[in-house]
Amino acid sequence: MNKILSLENIHFRYHPDAPDVLTGISLDIPAGKITAILGPNGTGKTTLLHILLGLLKPFQGIVKVSGKSHREYSRRDLSQMIGLVPQFESIPFNFSVFEYVLLGRSPYLKPFQLPGEGDVRITEDALEAAGIQHLAEKPVTEISGGERQLVHISRVLTQQTQILLLDEPTAHLDLENQNRILKLLKQMSSRGKTAVLTTHDPNAAIFAADYFVLMDRGNIAAQGNLSQVITAENLSTIYRTPIRVEQTNGYTMVVMDRI
Amino acid sequence: MKKKSLSRTFLFLGLGVMVILLVSVFIGRYPEPYWLPPRLLYHDQLARQLVLNLRLPRLLTALLLGMTLSAAGSVLQMVFRNPLVEPGFLGVSQGAAFGAAVSILWLTSHPLVIELSATFFGLLALLISYLLSTRIRYGGWVLRLILSGVAVSALFSAGIGVLKYIADPLTELPELIFWLLGGLYSVTWRDFLFVLPFALAGITTAYVMRWRVNLLSLNDDTAFSLGASLTRERIILLVATISAAAALTAISGVIGWVGLIVPHISRRLFGASAEKSLPAAMLIGGGFTVIADDLARTLLPGEIPLGILTSAIGAGLFIYLMISIGVKVRRHE
Repeated sequence: MNKILSLENIHFRYHPDAPDVLTGISLDIPAGKITAILGPNGTGKTTLLHILLGLLKPFQGIVKVSGKSHREYSRRDLSQMIGLVPQFESIPFNFSVFEYVLLGRSPYLKPFQLPGEGDVRITEDALEAAGIQHLAEKPVTEISGGERQLVHISRVLTQQTQILLLDEPTAHLDLENQNRILKLLKQMSSRGKTAVLTTHDPNAAIFAADYFVLMDRGNIAAQGNLSQVITAENLSTIYRTPIRVEQTNGYTMVVMDRI
Repeated sequence: MKKKSLSRTFLFLGLGVMVILLVSVFIGRYPEPYWLPPRLLYHDQLARQLVLNLRLPRLLTALLLGMTLSAAGSVLQMVFRNPLVEPGFLGVSQGAAFGAAVSILWLTSHPLVIELSATFFGLLALLISYLLSTRIRYGGWVLRLILSGVAVSALFSAGIGVLKYIADPLTELPELIFWLLGGLYSVTWRDFLFVLPFALAGITTAYVMRWRVNLLSLNDDTAFSLGASLTRERIILLVATISAAAALTAISGVIGWVGLIVPHISRRLFGASAEKSLPAAMLIGGGFTVIADDLARTLLPGEIPLGILTSAIGAGLFIYLMISIGVKVRRHE
């Protein structure tokens, strides 16, 4: 496996005297694939994503990007390599969609530089790739949740990073919008981008991902391909509820067992 | 095309401020109320001296004051992700006012000493707010700073209350009150030169870093992922703009509302991105303060404290903005 991101024995806690949120995680993320990090709420998925991003520093252990430790990269280098679609972004000011997506060019601007025509073109292309060019002039505070998520993805596209981290990208979205977002992700991955997404919904993960990581209580319960990880036994254990894994027309589906 | 029309708007705005400044040179109450005929500058020695030694430094200081408060307000509202923040909110205004009061009561009424004392206490209040915020054990950094700013402001305004109470009602109190209400009536070239470096440092930092200000208005994780060095960039922006505001407060007294309302107006007209709204706020704020100061020295035979005028006009505009059609309130999630 050609790994682009790897975690080695990561321990993390938010305060020195608080209990560990992550307890000795080791994980390799394959390059050019979609990796889904699955697990119940509050199991440390977002924390793990923030550690991959470099926002949180592990208490112990090493994060490597393309074989080199996070610490060997400057902030600027790292932001040209790893982009983030956050789970939740409150935007207190009425940026237009275009202005907001243009912010994705920041990693390429010098400290006092403003975006130029090239950056504007890249932003227009990103809006088109996400199919939201018609929203360009609308305020970000006045669009729907699904559109908002597409705006976030456009912003990360203008950032032109090799690695995309997406925190619950389909949470709170209806089925049509979930489908749109996951298809867009697959398109990006087919062009060689590496995506890591967290989700608590196994079906969304199955739809999009090539590689699966199951997390439970700050640790990794299983990792590997679909048939290795998405089993009734694994899922029933980590979600603490009876779960069945069914095959329908060649598709794998996860359903809750009737109680 | 769009870019062209935008730079034309800025050109008009810039020219507008220049015209306001130029016209303001002739607005006052000498030799008679409201207008000094320009030709008088040739004949009247007193008119010439009044314009050169008093009105020009006063106008330029008003311009700097408006630009600085608006730039600081724009930066702080975005960096704190809170549209209700204004430059004095970390205790700086009340600290500076307390410093001035200390000087008037116990040191001397010499303007330079008042200014130094006001600047010192303004920055001291900022430092205390900051140190206090690092000791609060809950909430994000925005909440912690705002809470400690509120507490420090309240402490210093209690201090001002005590000083007012013990001030000599015939000599010290009127001076103190007039200073607290804010005004530029006593500004000289020396005052202007005193604030110039602070103001230029603040305005320039805000201007050149305006794209970073946009970035800092996003959530921490997004801003970080886009390459922002959160702590470092915030500190640079806060120190530059707040010390500029503190230095200006030291010579003008507490001038309310400019730093709060002008950034709102500017964002409404030019959009949220600080790329345009920040320079526009500086120009609007400069023009607004110069006009307010024109009114302050002209309307009545005696000087109207500038702080009263900016608060009255600012609050009026604020109410208008809040209730007028087309103003959209941010949707909370």
